[in-house]
Amino acid sequence: MALGLIIIYAIGPMRANVLNNTYGTNYGTHDFFLGQLRSVLISVAAFFLAFKVIPYKYIQKYSKPIMITALALSVLLWVLALSGSSLAKCELGECRWYNLGPVSFQPAEFLKLALVIYLADFLTRKREEGVVGKWQEFWLPLLLVCGLSLFLVVIAQGDLGTGVALISIIFGTLLVAGVPAKQYLIMLALVLVVAVGAVATSAHRMERVNAWLDTLQGAESSDSTYHIENAMLAIGVGGLTGVGIGNSVQATGYLPESINDSVFAIMGETFGFIGLLIILVVFGALLLRMLKVADGTADMDRRILVIGVFSWTLAQVVVNIMAMTSLVPVTGITLPLLSYGGTSMLFIAFAIGCVCQISCYTSREVIKNEDISSRGRLGGSHHASRRRSS
Amino acid sequence: MPRSNIQRSNVRYSAPNSGDAANSHHRIKILKKVVLVTLAIIAVRLFAIQIIEHDHWVAKADEQHTLLEAIVAKRGEIYMMDGDEPAAVVLNQTTYQIIIDPSVTEKDKIQHALATYAATYQTADLDEVYSEEGLRYAIIAKNVPKSIADQIAAEEISAVWFAKNNQRVYPEGDLASGLLGFVNADGIGQYGVEGSLNNLLSGKDGLLKSTADVNKVALSIGNDNVKIPAEDGKNIVLSVDRGLQKGVEERAINAINNTAASNASVLIMNSNTGEVLTMANLPDYDPANYGNVTDASAYVNYVTDDPYEPASICKNFAFSAAINEGVMTPDTTFFNQHYEEVDDWKIWNAEQRSSLYGTLTMRQALYWSLNTGSIYALKLLGGDPTRINQQGREKLYDYYYNKFRLGQATGIELIEAEGYIEDPNEGWGRDSTYANMTFGQNLKITMLQTATAFSAVINGGYWRTPTVVKGELVDDKIVPLGSTSTGIEDKILSDETSAMMREMLINNRDYKVRDGTDRPGYDVGGKSGTAQVVRNGAYDDTFAELVGSYIGFVAPAGEMPEYVIMVRMWGEGQSIGSGDAMGLFDDISNYLINYLKIKPGA
Repeated sequence: MALGLIIIYAIGPMRANVLNNTYGTNYGTHDFFLGQLRSVLISVAAFFLAFKVIPYKYIQKYSKPIMITALALSVLLWVLALSGSSLAKCELGECRWYNLGPVSFQPAEFLKLALVIYLADFLTRKREEGVVGKWQEFWLPLLLVCGLSLFLVVIAQGDLGTGVALISIIFGTLLVAGVPAKQYLIMLALVLVVAVGAVATSAHRMERVNAWLDTLQGAESSDSTYHIENAMLAIGVGGLTGVGIGNSVQATGYLPESINDSVFAIMGETFGFIGLLIILVVFGALLLRMLKVADGTADMDRRILVIGVFSWTLAQVVVNIMAMTSLVPVTGITLPLLSYGGTSMLFIAFAIGCVCQISCYTSREVIKNEDISSRGRLGGSHHASRRRSS
Repeated sequence: MPRSNIQRSNVRYSAPNSGDAANSHHRIKILKKVVLVTLAIIAVRLFAIQIIEHDHWVAKADEQHTLLEAIVAKRGEIYMMDGDEPAAVVLNQTTYQIIIDPSVTEKDKIQHALATYAATYQTADLDEVYSEEGLRYAIIAKNVPKSIADQIAAEEISAVWFAKNNQRVYPEGDLASGLLGFVNADGIGQYGVEGSLNNLLSGKDGLLKSTADVNKVALSIGNDNVKIPAEDGKNIVLSVDRGLQKGVEERAINAINNTAASNASVLIMNSNTGEVLTMANLPDYDPANYGNVTDASAYVNYVTDDPYEPASICKNFAFSAAINEGVMTPDTTFFNQHYEEVDDWKIWNAEQRSSLYGTLTMRQALYWSLNTGSIYALKLLGGDPTRINQQGREKLYDYYYNKFRLGQATGIELIEAEGYIEDPNEGWGRDSTYANMTFGQNLKITMLQTATAFSAVINGGYWRTPTVVKGELVDDKIVPLGSTSTGIEDKILSDETSAMMREMLINNRDYKVRDGTDRPGYDVGGKSGTAQVVRNGAYDDTFAELVGSYIGFVAPAGEMPEYVIMVRMWGEGQSIGSGDAMGLFDDISNYLINYLKIKPGA
């Protein structure tokens, strides 16, 4: 988060300048930095709230109302957008935000958190009832809730990035919830077919895919390849050590979304390969740590929740970075904790707070076991790899 | 097997059945692999982009980020003389085009702003512009001054923007358009001073190389920013006198209106310095709207750029040559029989009154402009009064081409044509060609060459490079501009030759003194020329079209002349005799005396 703050501090003035020049807006030099600082402070508060203040039991208890509230907020936004209300804030024709005076709020971010909490509870209950994998008791309600969430996010809000995160959460949690492998793979295949169909039938999504293919083949530059090319250009210019803080030229308006979705590319330009590698290692450590917490958590409900947060983070990190490096087509998705954007940071901070709480809680209960297990596992794999190589 | 024991204990604690939990653990391991593999793929990808392809992206970035912008040099202004003070005749002005995006519906606001501030500059009908579908760009007003553009900008209409133009402004309108030329839409001078001195006037554009943001605004990022400042163009001061030019142009227009001529060109120069005081070509055009000219010949500066046959004016040069060679004086006599037979051609005099048949002096020959007289001068140059010979031709060529520099560019700071003088020893019919050349036919020379040579005839024999540039204006002071003129001074005739020529030229106009045209107290000398026009390769003896010329000087009585005036009038298919040109000369010579307040001599 501190790193994100530094970057926003460095490129915020440029961003303000570019926006002011291009659209005649009137951003102050440090508006973006202050905005990010505000988001960071709120997010840190949310983190500690989830970590230390609210016991997970309560969150678990209210999982259904939370999910209903999250769905209701998205439905309400959709209705407001359709009725053309000024409460719905739209950009580029997609209405994803509530307009609340000085701040805006993106209900889809809340929906991700709610879905994680809800699925943790739902899947655990179904396991206890022993109906996992049954059509009527398990798949039907699951499809209903997940389908509605995806519809609201992908169709109503036109937000494919959040859709990808939701799908990742759903399949991540299903995986550890013990859904039979055959059913799991069938569902995964089904979703893939639907996703490919959705992309193929949408002109604007196909354009992104084609742009991606064009870039991979090194075809002539065009309007649609502009974003991805400039992201790669920023990363490529960074070289080994980067151009240094405040020297990013791509941030001066060449790279679209330079402070939110494309912030990774700007970091690549600023800090170079070494910097990005450190960021990757930090994210990797975070993700592996979550897996360790999940593995070490005795309570299935909590384990699923941690895996939900893990899947969410993984989806955002991987899809964002892969889009910036042209490994997948560009999708609007933020880089957790680093991108500019209050709602996204707030909820993922809260979610990670929950994981931390669970991790403490867990380690207190199985403290010995976890220690031994982690040591054993490390030694084991080490040993195994040696054996393979000899 | 400590690991499986732990798992078992966990399972027992939390899950409904142990197989499920083991399954869950196994699946988390899958996720761990997913994390490691994807991050590894990304790391490899980053290595490829940042380390292997680094140079490629840096080159691409340079291409995208580097802004090469010309810092446009300010074009120099052009001045004429107003007495001793420079007076601007060509200035610069920054004006604006008003451009709108009709897809932004602010028509009423735009209409109001235009009507309030810039109605006179409007170039397009708003209703028409808005009726065109899909239009995103329309110029609705041009040449809008900055003050008015500022007022409209203050209205902050988002559909309106401005494009800057640097425009030449001509406070004197059409004045001296043929001399000044114009600047085309690309900012390059065309014709006249604008064309010939374009390099001096335009200066040198500077260069700004910098890293720029997406809106092409230069950034302070980057180490290789380069700034080469522009060198503004020089402000050129012409030797031309603005008031004299104006008065002469008015008189030339009168002459065109009162005769069959459609064109008139007038050159006034200082015979002692070579400085041009007036260079007029009429009809003229408005250089600010040069595009409205339908015939490009309107741009031509006939004084310097259109060689022609000044006809009998050239008798001055043949006579000067013979006198200077010591083979002739004004009192040398010859026998005039109205024609001369050369190479089986009969060359006739225009003036054939019977009283002129017989023995005449060369003074009389010049007075009556007898071709037989000038041919006699050519014979004298050859040393054989009975016929034209090689020596005569070579001598005449030497004087015409080498000494008077006829058929050669003079070196003035303007676009010039050279014309030609036939070689004395090549081709057929050399004698008749050279006979013709003594009275100014069978050659092509410009008015400027003629007037410069004529200056040498009357100024004591000095051929001096003519000049139209006095210098450049630096801090309101005129500083010489060394590089523009070659500045030759060449003594080609003796003082005596020059004095004899002046005496004969003044004698030419004794009847003008008698009829009161030339005022007492002034010496005015002159010589006319009427050229036949070549049709189908031969001179047209029907005289259906003639070009009239007149050249002369004005001086206080008994003093060295200072001013040479040359007039040329013509019109396609019109028979313009030297009488018409002489009429304009008479008018201008008297105007010159008044305008320059030349005091009469003793």
